[in-house]
Amino acid sequence: MILKVNNLNKQYQKAGRGVHALDNISFEVKKGDFVTITGPSGSGKTTLLLSLAGLIKTTSGEIYFNDFRIDNANDRHLSDFRKNHVGFVMQSFALIPYLTALENVMLPLAISKFSKKDKIKKANALMELVCLEDRKKHYPRELSAGQQQRVAIARALINEPDLILADEPTGNLDPSLSSEILNLLKKINREKGMTIVMVTHSPQAAEYGTMKIHLIDGKIETLHHNPKIEMSQLNLVN
Amino acid sequence: MNIRKLVWLEFKQHKSQLVSGLLAIVLGITVIVGIRSISVVSEKAVAVNLDNLGANILVLPQASNVDNYYAADIDAPTIPEEYVDRIVASNLQGVDNLSPKLTRRTKIGNETVVLTGILPKNEITSKPMWQQSGLLGNDLKASCAPTNTANQSSGYADEKLQRKVIDSLGGDECLVGYAAASKLKVSEGGNLDILGEKFKVARVLNETGTVDDDRIFIHLHKAQELFKIPAQVSAIEIMGCCNAISDGLLGKLRNVLPDTRITTIGQIVSTQIETNKMMNKVSMIFLIIIIFVGGISIGNFMWANINERRKEIGMLRMVGFNKTVIYRMMLSKALVLGIIGGIVGYILGTLAGMWLGPELAGLPVKPIASLIGVSLAISIGVSLLGAMIPSYLAGRIEPFSNMQEG
Repeated sequence: MILKVNNLNKQYQKAGRGVHALDNISFEVKKGDFVTITGPSGSGKTTLLLSLAGLIKTTSGEIYFNDFRIDNANDRHLSDFRKNHVGFVMQSFALIPYLTALENVMLPLAISKFSKKDKIKKANALMELVCLEDRKKHYPRELSAGQQQRVAIARALINEPDLILADEPTGNLDPSLSSEILNLLKKINREKGMTIVMVTHSPQAAEYGTMKIHLIDGKIETLHHNPKIEMSQLNLVN
Repeated sequence: MNIRKLVWLEFKQHKSQLVSGLLAIVLGITVIVGIRSISVVSEKAVAVNLDNLGANILVLPQASNVDNYYAADIDAPTIPEEYVDRIVASNLQGVDNLSPKLTRRTKIGNETVVLTGILPKNEITSKPMWQQSGLLGNDLKASCAPTNTANQSSGYADEKLQRKVIDSLGGDECLVGYAAASKLKVSEGGNLDILGEKFKVARVLNETGTVDDDRIFIHLHKAQELFKIPAQVSAIEIMGCCNAISDGLLGKLRNVLPDTRITTIGQIVSTQIETNKMMNKVSMIFLIIIIFVGGISIGNFMWANINERRKEIGMLRMVGFNKTVIYRMMLSKALVLGIIGGIVGYILGTLAGMWLGPELAGLPVKPIASLIGVSLAISIGVSLLGAMIPSYLAGRIEPFSNMQEG
């Protein structure tokens, strides 16, 4: 198992009342799984994703990435964990406006020990993978939304992570661009064997998952495994 | 892509913010460098002035009258000549030259003259204790004395006020002041009968316009013998380094010779000394202002910059930049700001000094290279100080500021 979540709880105070953002969540993810997390607004999808990355402290329960316990690790260990094992794809792309597409892709390597030549080589390969080799020197404002998200995906892959955490990656895209991005994620999942955990509002996007988790009020409502899904079966609409 | 490049690219992106953030620090450094450039030249001018005056400190017996600095030793009570050795043995910094004197009025023919016994330079340098002390150089040159070039270029040489050290003087020789020579109608090579002893006129001194014009100089020990005051002097003239005088040399001398009266002719250059002190105070005030205003300005700039870049910093945290890396990035930025502020402030301050120096102090001002280091140290220090809290807060920005709660 690459990810193991045991009895995870996250509570916080809102208007003087205790709110259960996550309520006794447990599940396991195998290496190479494509996990989709769906649910209505406020159901705890993003809170769960943040917890998996060690970005927020949970109230109780355990999260393991392989043998590394995420939920009680310190900032330095969590930073190393994210740097070495996790790639992030966000709804808002989160590209740095004053860096070119290629520089944005290389950004996570700024704190790595790779040589400048190797960094550029790796970034160029990923720009090719996301079909943006002719947009390397473009700034984010000069790229379409779909192209920006592809740059963000390339950035998520630059450290060759074991796990990609995607938060509504198609939330800001129109249906055709959504399918383009989802297909790209699926391709990465299959060809590179990377585990993907994706939060989405879209039931169609959720169909990409080999494991589908549906949350309601912080609880797992349903958890389905769908290991034999084929690209051709998917009808992609955001 | 590395941290340095990331900081640099971000700088390029926010050039206008950078200028406003640096304004206070650059202005502060400019004022400090400008004032310092002028005051350094001015202090040198004071040193030149004091040095040109020759002996600028007078050690007298307690009961002496000091209404007239130049005549204070005439007919004054006496102090032991051994006090000269005490001053030398005390090894005080800033004592560059010593000249013990015994002065009395006397009659030569029908004319009253001032007879002064002095110790010539060759006897001063031959005393072992004085050589060991290190106070007196072989050529008796003042350690803070100006060079001839400086003397001339600053225009402070005033021949009338100069009281140069006499190189050598034999027991039967005398030097005659301009007015005394005229009164006594003697010239170089002539003879004078003083208190029953014959002296050869070794030189007639140039006119100075002071009481020295009426003096006749003979060897100190000869004067002590003639006046029957052995091993006593009426005054010890000291050429003190002007900086040492400002730093309390007089007080230190009073500690060495508590039963004497020690006075200076500092008042002659007191206006310039006061101006220098005032400029140094203004520099200090600006230093304090720059620390507060510059620090706050940089801090404010950094804080605004960090707030504007919360999502960006959150994203950096998300991809693995730990808090230390974020602090480093922010402090690197403050370091660059400090370097730019220091260099620009130094250049502007130097130009201002060169422009205003001749106007305000009547002195030509040249760039002072050592002020670059001072400017950089102040600017970088203030910048880092101002950036500390914002940098700390930047490190605490949560990585999930890019994600939607849901």
